[in-house]
Amino acid sequence: MNVPITATALLGGVVALDAGPVAQTLFSQPLVTASLLGLLWNDLPLALSVGVVLQILAASTLPVGSRTPEDYAMGGVIGVALALMLAQQQPYSVARDGCALVGVIAGMISATAGVPLLKWQRRRNEGLSHWCEAELLAGREQALGQAHVAGVVLAFGVGVSYTAACVALGVGLLAGAVKTESIWLARAWSYAQPVWIGLGLAQLLHAFVQRRPMRVAVFGAALFVTWILLMVGSA
Amino acid sequence: MALRASLLQATFNFERQQGLGWAFALAPALRRLYPDPALRAQRLAEHTAYFNTQPTLCSVALGAVASYEEQRAAGAPIDAGSVTRVKNVLGSSLAAIGDRMFWFTLRPLCACIGLILAAGGSAFGALAMWICYNVMHQGMRVLGVSWGYQQGPAVVSGELRPRLERMIRTWSLMGVAAVGATVAVVLVPNGAPRPVLFQIVFLCGLAFGLIVAQRVRPSPTEWALGAAAVSLIVSFPR
Repeated sequence: MNVPITATALLGGVVALDAGPVAQTLFSQPLVTASLLGLLWNDLPLALSVGVVLQILAASTLPVGSRTPEDYAMGGVIGVALALMLAQQQPYSVARDGCALVGVIAGMISATAGVPLLKWQRRRNEGLSHWCEAELLAGREQALGQAHVAGVVLAFGVGVSYTAACVALGVGLLAGAVKTESIWLARAWSYAQPVWIGLGLAQLLHAFVQRRPMRVAVFGAALFVTWILLMVGSA
Repeated sequence: MALRASLLQATFNFERQQGLGWAFALAPALRRLYPDPALRAQRLAEHTAYFNTQPTLCSVALGAVASYEEQRAAGAPIDAGSVTRVKNVLGSSLAAIGDRMFWFTLRPLCACIGLILAAGGSAFGALAMWICYNVMHQGMRVLGVSWGYQQGPAVVSGELRPRLERMIRTWSLMGVAAVGATVAVVLVPNGAPRPVLFQIVFLCGLAFGLIVAQRVRPSPTEWALGAAAVSLIVSFPR
């Protein structure tokens, strides 16, 4: 079997674990998975251009109240992997921007569609929880460990399957469109990319500032100093 | 216990949320405190009840409840109901601090640090983000158990809360500065200004984002999908 494709599906399983069930180390964030996939598929610039947009949107998506936020762990892997796979089939550089656009949109849609899947897993875990309590009351302590193994295996399996299904579906449906409509998609990318980045950074800014003038001043100062440093550094 | 706390959400569910993970993480302490297997299994079953908090700071609650269970095992007049009350109070207090600290402050701050590097095309952005987050996240997860154990159920009303609040304020200021630096890097990556069209559209996106951020719904993703549809329509070949 093709090594990068298998590794991509397995990465989907690993990030599904990191996003919630195991450790929560941010390994599942789109920027991390995009860098890994970029190295794996030998196309880091494209992977990062998709990963940066998805990371900004992921960082601006907060678990407010009881709302289950979009699953950008899966969205990051699926979006970046799809862009990379589609770009491998395109001989022209203009088509790469189209692949990036398709990758980000696929990432957002799969992140949104991943929410019912997360809820399904949580409902499955309710049964596991009842079984475990009954086993503990019957004196079988090892049930606690077994329930955790079952929860981890379920999350990993769902992650691998969801990644594989979404990427296969995306490549099958969109390879033709990317090839024939590359100029249109590339032009749309030139509008959509800055809007997405601006939209996401605005959410972060709003969350940090919280209507405090002092913080607005810090934002302005950091923007100005960094801009000057970048301009002077390049001169 | 700190290592097991990494699996707190492995069996997360709507009914008991982190209850099973909590019992799994506390099991080593209960094993030491209750040598009788039947009593230990009963205590473990009690701990599988509803529990929910922020996953990193859960280790503080684990340490505190382990200390409380130690008193219970030593014969103090503590019943299952009071253990549940202590768990719930610690869980909600730590969630209130932890959500702001990790989800709303540290995670976006580390993401901005990673983005500043990644916008220049470096794969080290991801590494920087991951390391910055985990120094605090894993550090607190490991140290939290001993903080909780040393101070017991009163841990949140002691010195810990003001210290964590100070950290949140500091990180928020750093976060604002990081967003400012990210905006500059997006506009002038590696010192080369982006095309004027990019800068104008980006600033429109930023302004629009600041307006729509006043409301929780639609979510940023829903707005971004809407922006994708508009971009496709605007650039449709005539």
